[in-house]
Amino acid sequence: MIAFGSARRHFLLISLFIAVTLGAWILRETLTLANFMTVYILVVLIFAINSGTAAALVAAFIGFLCINFFLVRPYYTFLVADPREIVDLAVFLIIAIIAGRLAAREREQTKVARQRAYEQEILYRLTRSFNQLTTSDEVYKALTLMLQTDFAARQAYILPYATDTISPDQTVHYLLLQAGEKIYATLCVAFDDKLISQQERLIHACASQAAMALYRIDLTERASKSQQFEEADRLKTAILHAVSHDLRTPITIIKTSANNLRHLRERLSPTDWGELTTTIETEADQLDKLVGNLLDMSRLQAGALQLNDDLNSLEEVAGDAAARVWQLTKQERIKIVFANDMPLVPFDYGLLLQALSNLIDNALRYEPPGSLIEIHGGVQGDEAQIRVVNHGEAILESEREHIMEPFYRGKEGHVGLGLPIAKGIVEAHHGRLDVEDTPGGGVTFVIGLPLEKEKL
Amino acid sequence: MSLKVLVVDDEPQIRKQLKIGLGGYGYEVLTASNGEEAQTNAAQHQPDMIILDISLGSEPNGIEVCRSLREWSKVPVIMLSVRNEEKTKVAALNAGADDYLTKPFGMEELQARIQAVLRRVVSEPGANAKGEIRVGNLYINLVNRHVYVEGEEVHLTPKEYDLLRLLATHPGKVMTNRAILNAVWGAEYSEMDHYVRVFVNQIRKKLHENPARNVRYILNEPGVGYRFVSED
Repeated sequence: MIAFGSARRHFLLISLFIAVTLGAWILRETLTLANFMTVYILVVLIFAINSGTAAALVAAFIGFLCINFFLVRPYYTFLVADPREIVDLAVFLIIAIIAGRLAAREREQTKVARQRAYEQEILYRLTRSFNQLTTSDEVYKALTLMLQTDFAARQAYILPYATDTISPDQTVHYLLLQAGEKIYATLCVAFDDKLISQQERLIHACASQAAMALYRIDLTERASKSQQFEEADRLKTAILHAVSHDLRTPITIIKTSANNLRHLRERLSPTDWGELTTTIETEADQLDKLVGNLLDMSRLQAGALQLNDDLNSLEEVAGDAAARVWQLTKQERIKIVFANDMPLVPFDYGLLLQALSNLIDNALRYEPPGSLIEIHGGVQGDEAQIRVVNHGEAILESEREHIMEPFYRGKEGHVGLGLPIAKGIVEAHHGRLDVEDTPGGGVTFVIGLPLEKEKL
Repeated sequence: MSLKVLVVDDEPQIRKQLKIGLGGYGYEVLTASNGEEAQTNAAQHQPDMIILDISLGSEPNGIEVCRSLREWSKVPVIMLSVRNEEKTKVAALNAGADDYLTKPFGMEELQARIQAVLRRVVSEPGANAKGEIRVGNLYINLVNRHVYVEGEEVHLTPKEYDLLRLLATHPGKVMTNRAILNAVWGAEYSEMDHYVRVFVNQIRKKLHENPARNVRYILNEPGVGYRFVSED
């Protein structure tokens, strides 16, 4: 089918008309009136298909005049010599008008169908891409990008509040992104020209698809938040129980020691005096550790943990943890064995040191006297591993599943904050903390951290 | 004549403890409870050392005080911080602080830090008159670039040696990752923190460090950099 671009198209159509008229004029003595009329009807159809009803009607009428003027005797007048030809001309005009209108309508319907298909495709594509998004920012980005590429919008951006401004020249549109009762933002989109109604309808449809996506994301977020709140609430109750015992014990010891120092000043032997002051210091350290653990725990549970996950060395963490044990006990109680090609891994140094120290404290508590706990570092598959190996008694099957729960009291009545915190810290790094049996007796804790930074 | 130390902290109890503690070590202790008072006291009494809390609970905070002090004074400054404040520690060092200490700390630790900082200020920075460094089992001959551990020579690559020398000639001083990269690799490497970690790890292995027995020469300052152990 013959179809061209707009300005060029008009030029070509008019050229076609002139060429046909010129050709017919040259052959006016050779061909019959019926031949000319057939050719002009074809021209009218071409006009109808390319430019619609109005152009077809104009072509039909001018065609009628041209035949009459140039091709029907007497030439160059609008008079008709043969009365039979008047009938032919009238019939030509009627056929041309009817055929032109039919062809033009066909053309309109094709155009509408194509437009529909295009709208369907855009909406389908948009919905499909929205379904995969998990944050509202991504939805905003996808929406504005689509408006700029598929709708040739001059500008498209998101206002983070509701506004129903109407622009005076109708080239700028403000659409509320609204689902249910909630308005999430306003889409502001500007075009070079005024939109036709179909385009406007389509943009509204896109905006409401975006609003639905925002609504879905909002619901998901709210669900996960309420779960976090429940967890935090459970934790708060547990902390209150623990505070009464585990915080008060060191405080009581510090207070009585200081009190003794004040009252018994002269009556204390140098040994007792030294012991009391040392007690105050170690209990203060204990308190500091406990407060640190409680802070980490509440930050972990509240989901408010900000990981500073630069590339770090697990061997450095193990070294610091081991040195800390030496400083407290002045004894060598740990053996560190690391693979030579240990890679750097993304993790938060302070938090992982806390986690590893908690595991080491736990392992040392159950290590037989004179024996060393071991810290092994290496790579297994796609994770970096640290294993904290203890050689005490095997863990009871009944205890195994509870030891990592917050505030679980083991058989010694020691409040379990250390292991759950270690677990929480490792999991915040998308890693895992597992318990295994040490061959020959004892418990081995395995920290596994992903080698690559996980995409959040 | 005793050395004058200015203690700046918004907690009266901490000021009191530090005054008693440092007084016991023979320092003359002045105190200030906020940034403005600190600057006035520093100008009026010309202290030999300032112990400055990072979070003073009011404006200006410790880092701002340190920065404005540095506009007119070279007095050594040790900042006090709390756990999980690595970024602030780097900010404090960049603002011109000489060192920092994490709360809670013991008085011996503070006294040792004060002495180390004062020693560094007195001696020409980086200068080493004897051309050699001895710490524990480690011996570094700076003249012919030889390193020995327990009497045995250790073979370091040129970069490893440069890094070790940089740390060892600044004992007790925190060297930020950026400072190390600038000095050993050049300014264009200043974002490559992991280079430092990898090289420090190699050096440690060659020096036979054993943290579990407290055999350590290079100490970690997580999120900040590294510190060579003090000679004492």
